[in-house]
Amino acid sequence: MISQSRVLLALDLGSATTSGAVLGHVGGRWRLIAHVAAPCHVDVDATLFRLLTRVKLTDPKMLAELGAGEAADIRALVATWPRLVARTSPRRLVAVLAGSRRQRRRLETSALRAGWLVVGGSAEEDDHLALSRLALTSEVGVVLLGADRDPGGDERRQLPDLAALVAAVTRSRPELSVVLAGGAAVYEPALAAFGESIPASVRAVGQPVCGQVLLAPDAEAGNPPGASLQEILEGLRTLPNDSRLGVARSIASLAQILDRPIEVLEIGLQGGLWSRSEPVGLGHPAVVSSHACPADASFAPDNPSEEVIDGVLAWSTTAQDRHRVMDRLNDLRRLPWGEADGDGAVFRLAAAKAAIGRLVESSPAMLASSVPECLIAAGGIFAALPPSIVALAMADLLRRPGVCHLAIDHARLLGPIGAVEEEQERRRLLADLAEDILLPLGGLILPAGIKVGRSAGRLRLKGATAASEIELHPGTIEVVDLPPGRAARADLDFRDAVKLAGRGRHFSVDVRGGLCGLLVDLRDIPMRISDRPESRRLALEAWQRGMWPEVDE
Amino acid sequence: MSAVEPPSEVATRAGFAAVARRQVVVLSPTIHFRLRPGDRALVAPGDTVVPGLPIAERTPDARLVHVGRLAGPSRNSSHGADGEASPVEPTPAGNASSPASLEGDGRRPPLPGEWWAGGGERRRMWPRGKPTAPVGGTLLFESGGRWLAAAAARHQIVESPVAGIVREARNAVEVTIEATGAALTGALAAGEPSRGHLDVPRLADGELWASALDVGRSGAVVVAGSRISAQAISRARAVSIHGLVAGSVGQGDLRDFEASEMRQSASLVETIPFGLIALDGNARRPIPTPILTLLAALVGREVAIVTNPPLLVFDAAAVPLPDLPSDWIRVRSGQHAGREGRWLEPGGLRRFRSGIYLEAAVVRLGGDTEPTVVPVSDLERFTFQVQVP
Repeated sequence: MISQSRVLLALDLGSATTSGAVLGHVGGRWRLIAHVAAPCHVDVDATLFRLLTRVKLTDPKMLAELGAGEAADIRALVATWPRLVARTSPRRLVAVLAGSRRQRRRLETSALRAGWLVVGGSAEEDDHLALSRLALTSEVGVVLLGADRDPGGDERRQLPDLAALVAAVTRSRPELSVVLAGGAAVYEPALAAFGESIPASVRAVGQPVCGQVLLAPDAEAGNPPGASLQEILEGLRTLPNDSRLGVARSIASLAQILDRPIEVLEIGLQGGLWSRSEPVGLGHPAVVSSHACPADASFAPDNPSEEVIDGVLAWSTTAQDRHRVMDRLNDLRRLPWGEADGDGAVFRLAAAKAAIGRLVESSPAMLASSVPECLIAAGGIFAALPPSIVALAMADLLRRPGVCHLAIDHARLLGPIGAVEEEQERRRLLADLAEDILLPLGGLILPAGIKVGRSAGRLRLKGATAASEIELHPGTIEVVDLPPGRAARADLDFRDAVKLAGRGRHFSVDVRGGLCGLLVDLRDIPMRISDRPESRRLALEAWQRGMWPEVDE
Repeated sequence: MSAVEPPSEVATRAGFAAVARRQVVVLSPTIHFRLRPGDRALVAPGDTVVPGLPIAERTPDARLVHVGRLAGPSRNSSHGADGEASPVEPTPAGNASSPASLEGDGRRPPLPGEWWAGGGERRRMWPRGKPTAPVGGTLLFESGGRWLAAAAARHQIVESPVAGIVREARNAVEVTIEATGAALTGALAAGEPSRGHLDVPRLADGELWASALDVGRSGAVVVAGSRISAQAISRARAVSIHGLVAGSVGQGDLRDFEASEMRQSASLVETIPFGLIALDGNARRPIPTPILTLLAALVGREVAIVTNPPLLVFDAAAVPLPDLPSDWIRVRSGQHAGREGRWLEPGGLRRFRSGIYLEAAVVRLGGDTEPTVVPVSDLERFTFQVQVP
């Protein structure tokens, strides 16, 4: 489709935000012509109509070059131009059943990383009535019964009863799908009367899954462990062209094109995504990717738990009681575009940071990996926030020593481009669009092991046309002016040995600029802030005010 | 019900379409009653129900009961040896009610989810001297030829709060009813579905003092203004008010209420169903005037609070809907939350507080002489259902 088109309408239909963009083949390459974001209740065609009308008013020649003709009827263009569509899959609930607590936790981890909301129980912890309640809950769409590939005595003893329980549940709820993972697959005959059994590997994504029994590998299979089951559960949960999985695919293609490790952090209403792709092998012919898209990384989770409230309070710069925070989170879920300015913007930032915190906690293995060369923020929650504060949020939450470039998927194109099925076609599109898609926020230098004192050292920044030098103060974030598109060499002389690329006192690193310049984060890794709420709020507010001076307007 | 939605010039004006539309009234809403293991449906799909008709029987204290072997189609005795228990009772929603499941002698094989009553025959399983209370519940599954059930001695009848047609009825899963009439949509609800005549103590919006909820309003569903407090809820329950409708209810108050509900359901005393519904959510906001007008028109009529989804169901016949100007808007969030007025024109991309850029609208709020610029995403407009013949 792409090779035959001169223009594409890219749509990311999120749960809160609809993003539309016009991509045109202009001057021999694909370019981002215009984009818009609107609350999801606004009609998609009306949004595109408004966008194309603006393009026509601003640059009618551009519209003509895209094949619209002189007297273009915008409505006809909206109706006829090809579309790349990605959409957020609705939240779904899986009931995880296992023979042992250990197995339940493993299965739950895979299901959570696959984006499912999870209720779980095990025969070791719960009686059969409690387990039946879980599986019979009308919101549950899938029952996952799993065991080790070769279950031990404790699990094996419980499995016949659990299989009988699941078979009974499917009699009452024939619309359920059942996944039998690992050693539980041998009990598939018990469910023979329920529906057709198929290996999960042969099921196409987006195929209806009602009344099916899927046979899946155990929760330790794959690399990293659990990846195989996670992939199958993702396939069960998502709609075709799922936006979040599209972002992960685009990141893998982008890592290959740019030949550098890339990570993306996406926060949305229905969940979040943390995806990492890294070229490997001699000459980097392949890309290793991993991702997690937990539903509880939503910026406004349904029925927020005490931990969620604690997380929001921990990042809040205003004093609020717990009930008030809960009320505001619930209202944010109900009206994700409500009160996007003033206090509302500050609260949304705290909610987004808490969501990133949950996302990071859910993937300790990824947090242990080295800092990527490029870190991308994505998702509707960042759409209305100032770029500098988005950069600060990423620096606050992903505290790994190193140097990276921060960017934001401002037009939300990674999802729709990930919907392009053919890898080569997707890479061609991304190769052209990479610079347009990723709005540079700035460079981030994050050294570890800064000791308390008056000065941590000095930084000299040498660009093509100018040079600057600043003193580095421990516990602060220094911002150096470096505009988007500019590259420079930063020479850092620390008073004591710190960890950056390696361990040492003198470093010379290449950095690129962005909307908020170059950030040198001299705070602790991991970040240490006072446990006293007032002191913590003051510290956060001081850092925030430095990056967001308009906050009190 | 009168029609109030003539297509207007304003409604088709550029920009106005971007204002979120709030569907105030829905017709023939589908409502759900969640059941759990041990609960049974007392109706079957296609049945017509009227308010007060029992539709389900809950088993609030259901526990796991080892039923033993159950008589299958080839057995005739209801109390066999070796712990064999009584056969299952047919229920309207029983999973085995289809002719295909009937076998040979007309006896149905036991199936998961079916109602089972027993207890007396299991006398020897109780400690000597203890009374043997008969228990009832639903079958869970068969393990090694013996059945397990979720059952208990105490049951509660769930009555339909609305008239309608049963669309789905499954033991231990849910009963779904397509209600006749119309319903006012809410943001959240808590408690139990309930029914009563609508009482609007004050037409001007505001918080209703708990003292205004007196015994004279017993049996009513009371419109309690912009906010319900935990004290008001407790008092309403104490004086046998059947339900409360408000603009908002705080999450803390909801938690208190839910804890109180759990304590009440754990007691052996039969309680009157009590429900509450918040029209806007958790943050304090006044009830929108179009909705207040509609509620005022319903005063004295029988209404029902339904919790899943949150609805205030009423008889659709001849209820006059508010005649709103087509450019009527309300600020649902932000600095001017709760204020109402009229749409003037789109304001383009503007810089708002904290340096945030958003699509703006120019509106005239209340009796203001000067127009106000607000983010479009903070606005809502009202749409009512069109005429019911």
